Amino acid sequence: MVKQILPKNLSEVLELISKEKYRFCAGGTDMLIQNHNLKTLPIDFKDNIIYTFNLEELKGITEDEDFITIGASESLESILENKITPQILKDTILQMASPAIRHSGTIGGNIGNASPAGDLLVPLYLLNAIVQLQSLKGIRSVLLSDFITHVRRIDLRDDEIITKIIISKINFDKHQFVKVGPRLSDAISKLSFLGAVSFHEDKVIDLRFSFGAVNITVVRRPEIEAQYIYKTKEELKNSVDELLEKYSEYIRPIDDQRSNKEYRKTVALNLLRNFIEEL
Amino acid sequence: MAKIDFRLNGVPVSIETQLNRRLLDVLHEDFDLIGIKEGCGEGECGACAVLFDHEIINSCSVPIANCANKDIVTIEGFSNTSRYKILKDAFEEEGAVQCGFCTPGMMIAAESLLNKNPKPTTEEIKIGLSGNLCRCTGYNMIIKAIQRAAKVGEGKW
Amino acid sequence: MKDIRESILKTDGDEKISGQAKYVADIRMANMQHAITKRSTIACGEIKNISYPELPEGYFIVDHRDVPGLNVVKIIFDDMPVFTEKAITYLHEPILLVVGPNKEKVKEIVNNIQIEYIEKEATFEWKNSAVQYHFDKGLGKSIFENADKIIEYDYETGYQEQAYIEPQGFIGYLEGKDKVTLIGSIQCPYYVKNAVIQVLNATEENVRVIQPSVGGAFGGKEEFPSLMACQLACAVKKVKKPIQLIYEREEDMLVTTKRHPARIRFSAALNKEREILGFKIYCAIDAGANIGLSGVVLSRALIAGTGAYTIDNLDCSGDVFITNTVPNGAFRGFGAPQMYFAVEMFMEHIALDLGIDSLAFRRKYLAKQNDLTSTSGTFRDPIIMNEMIEKGMEISDYKKKRIEYSKEKSTKGIGMSFFFHGCGFTGSGEATHIKAKVRLKKDKDNTVYILVAAVDMGQGIRTTLRKVVAQILEIPIDNVIFDFPDTDKVPDSGPTVASRTMMIVGGLIGRAAKEMKKRWTETEFIVEKIYEQPEYIKYNDETFRGDAYPAYSWGVNIVEVDVNPVTYQPKILNTWSVYDIGKSIDDRIVLGQADGGLTQGIAYGYLEVMNHVKGVIKQKNMTDYIIPTAMDTGNMETVIYENPYAFGPYGAKGVGELTLVGGAPAVVYAIEQAINKRIHKIPATPEYILEMMNDGKNRL
Ligand SMILES: Cc1cc2nc3c(=O)[nH]c(=O)nc-3n(C[C@H](O)[C@H](O)[C@H](O)COP(=O)(O)OP(=O)(O)OC[C@H]3O[C@@H](n4cnc5c(N)ncnc54)[C@H](O)[C@@H]3O)c2cc1C
Ligand code: FES
Ligand code: FES
Repeated sequence: MVKQILPKNLSEVLELISKEKYRFCAGGTDMLIQNHNLKTLPIDFKDNIIYTFNLEELKGITEDEDFITIGASESLESILENKITPQILKDTILQMASPAIRHSGTIGGNIGNASPAGDLLVPLYLLNAIVQLQSLKGIRSVLLSDFITHVRRIDLRDDEIITKIIISKINFDKHQFVKVGPRLSDAISKLSFLGAVSFHEDKVIDLRFSFGAVNITVVRRPEIEAQYIYKTKEELKNSVDELLEKYSEYIRPIDDQRSNKEYRKTVALNLLRNFIEEL
Repeated sequence: MAKIDFRLNGVPVSIETQLNRRLLDVLHEDFDLIGIKEGCGEGECGACAVLFDHEIINSCSVPIANCANKDIVTIEGFSNTSRYKILKDAFEEEGAVQCGFCTPGMMIAAESLLNKNPKPTTEEIKIGLSGNLCRCTGYNMIIKAIQRAAKVGEGKW
Repeated sequence: MKDIRESILKTDGDEKISGQAKYVADIRMANMQHAITKRSTIACGEIKNISYPELPEGYFIVDHRDVPGLNVVKIIFDDMPVFTEKAITYLHEPILLVVGPNKEKVKEIVNNIQIEYIEKEATFEWKNSAVQYHFDKGLGKSIFENADKIIEYDYETGYQEQAYIEPQGFIGYLEGKDKVTLIGSIQCPYYVKNAVIQVLNATEENVRVIQPSVGGAFGGKEEFPSLMACQLACAVKKVKKPIQLIYEREEDMLVTTKRHPARIRFSAALNKEREILGFKIYCAIDAGANIGLSGVVLSRALIAGTGAYTIDNLDCSGDVFITNTVPNGAFRGFGAPQMYFAVEMFMEHIALDLGIDSLAFRRKYLAKQNDLTSTSGTFRDPIIMNEMIEKGMEISDYKKKRIEYSKEKSTKGIGMSFFFHGCGFTGSGEATHIKAKVRLKKDKDNTVYILVAAVDMGQGIRTTLRKVVAQILEIPIDNVIFDFPDTDKVPDSGPTVASRTMMIVGGLIGRAAKEMKKRWTETEFIVEKIYEQPEYIKYNDETFRGDAYPAYSWGVNIVEVDVNPVTYQPKILNTWSVYDIGKSIDDRIVLGQADGGLTQGIAYGYLEVMNHVKGVIKQKNMTDYIIPTAMDTGNMETVIYENPYAFGPYGAKGVGELTLVGGAPAVVYAIEQAINKRIHKIPATPEYILEMMNDGKNRL
């Protein structure tokens, strides 16, 4: 039988995982579905489990001059309701799941799950979020885009746990998050798009795009974004076709029970076009 | 097995149980709270909704391990309040109940919504109900019921 | 006296809101055993060998060898085994039950049963026709010889899942030595009872079926529960303890019946004046692995073939195809939703091809009183569609919007569908097949009991039937009791299907109440009534000739959408409905049916996707099978017209299905206008809309 641990604090967790392999269950909104059992039977976990939802050390949303730090076990709803939270994250969370699921689902869980359709990953990639990992050996900080290595695969060592997510405080002149789901709420994304831009004296000084559910993980291409820095708004608008062509190569969605490749790709690029054209 | 203490419908309770049981099963099977319904078992329908520290969650997607020291209120507990009475009357008067399988969950969603936002717009009500599926009513009368409750019960939330 | 349409609070509102209403999963019994179904893992072939793990004490396997009577589930067409003996005809076909006290253990045993198969090539194409129908009206297809122009189009509809929020389930137990009692989430207590009698080879007295609160049904709990009940009854006989068989959501979605996918071809013969001379209609439906109710579904579809219009010459035909997929069955509308989508779009597409105003064109062919129906029967009662259409256009500002939205840049659209629904069973079904019987009992203390097998699954019949009785007897409604049906206590008033309950059962109850009123001074007595077909209704089931239904309800749906030009997602903005349902027995209940039915109907048209790949259903849970949330609905407005039917209580006709059947064409009309392309397939998903934007035929 698998072990089930309800730890008192983080050090107990670090102790345990330094010795033996465990998986974490935070809000459980992914873990319970993935380990679904028949009605009335206990959840069918296949690994040893540590429950981390209520760990004090994984809670809290704080800020300093440059950064906002969010505890891994903060629920999506409490992030949404916190004044410190950047609008770009709020816009995304508002379109995720439902109020009930947002109360139990966590930011750490969304990252840990590393689904191509994980919505919160889209703004987190765009904001160059850093994932803080802790083990008895110490703290390791990794860029989210490096941390997620493949569909549902993360660079988490057996003795580590995600403790915090750190994002830099940036404001954009304009940003737009669009989630395209099979219905208007409470649905897994077919695809999603986030664009953000800032100008200084009509010149682009920051330009970022990320796309969800159109590749094995979020698509973010800083090297493409960089090519448009210092262009005027007009120039940017005029190069929209070229921009689409550049992204086209990285938008490689699949067919599944929710949608198909053609639709996902067309709409992802439509959203990019629409964002630029409406600047 | 572990011991889990929590408040259930205002009363402190303590149970010896496996940590990996769903809150839904503990409430429905161990405490015989039949107002909690299982519609999908995957967090999608909201028929199993309860209040967890005053906010709506789906009890089918929460392990009992997460409930230690929490305040859990089910429709049975909520039905002792004056806010329940207002919502109940509004649901009946607007015709918001058909098969009734979604109804306790809808009531919990309404309470959770009105707690945060006592004067919701239609759009805000729709967002508040967006995790509660109803196959019978098309939601129209449920939305009207919540509007009515918000008006009748002004000051209660 | 108050007009009966004035709403009252529902009988069961309080118990449902407070969560105290008992659904099947809420019923506890001492010593309850758990049953889990072992199912096939192939779609077509034979069982070669089954090897069982050792069964611990108290655990049982129940399979075809445990069926004492006929191993056939009694439906309309009896071709479904209770447990398959050898042949596998679809994926997840039930083979046996494992029953025991510990569910975990039962699950383990199920997983350890090894089944070897001889796999055969499965058929998923529609080529094995099991039922063929054909009928003509007027000159039939020969009218095409005179045609100046022929227009022909194909239409296609997909699966729809009932998606009642409460999954299917039963509890069964033994009363005394021989009597099997079943409590289940069902629509038709006597369907279940009669099916179980045949399977157990039991006497009437030895089978009892009880209905608890039912969490939605929509046709999904019409015939399918009989299968579960038969299996469970065999298990109860063998195990002799109470047993629970309740489906998981995923199991429910994979194995229970759905709305039949359909492919429909319409041809119109037109004369020089661009008038319709006649139609050829061909409709194919996919039954899945068994015929079951499919023949009846096809016949209802064909009868609805001309929609709300009168077409003088018809050649209607269709096939029920058998494929190695999950059997399809009853779903609110019963063949009509498929056909209304097709015929409404066809009328529009003809008008577009002819370059004439489609609304005027459609209105010109609207059926009128005394017109001949598609089966050459007569629309005897007044038809007030013109008035209803005017009303709908007025409250929706239809004309203005229609013009405004036809501008090039507009992403919005508005559409209007016309439809009717035949109330009750098709043809002589009520008289020959169902023979409904109802009883009304008066007690010493003047309490009146309604004794019928009609099930309240949310549609409110527990409230409305009481209202009818109380009003006729002029007694307080609290003195009228309508308990959950129990076949030991109530006669067979027929199934709760086909929008028949108020009109037929309510009609009988109304007549019983009138008789009771005359005899009111008697202290304790029972009045019984049995259905008699109105004399003038004559129908031949073989030739499809005559009056297919005693009465028709009529409707107009208007839907306004906005289709996002970037994502192609339709958003429902507003809906307006106008219905002629004879007489409303309770406005709020009728309006509730209207909202819910229309929401399902619209979602059928644009939102709800279900498909299979080689017999594997792709959308097998509520996450992947998308039904509307509150966010997906628009504002709704409904107007009810009265147009009493002589034999319904207070003039009431059918309501339940009428409110669904017009949703899909209305929303698709609106989407067509918004995207300016023609649509031939539902659901019109964003993926399909994109495809049409790229390659589809322009509307104009
Ligand atoms: C009905 C429903 C709707 C949903 N809708 C959406 C949606 O719209 N968009 C969306 O993106 N998601 C959605 N989800 C998925 C899910 O709710 C989110 O991914 C949520 O953020 C997961 O958080 P959790 O705490 O519940 O995760 P859990 O299930 O607890 O964990 C998820 C994964 O993360 C790992 N993990 C958790 N915490 C840590 C940690 N501290 N360190 C290391 N690993 C950790 C776990 O081991 C597991 O692998 C939905 C789920 C449901 C049930
Ligand atoms: S049963 Fe919990 S959300 Fe459906
Ligand atoms: S009333 Fe039946 S699901 Fe809502």
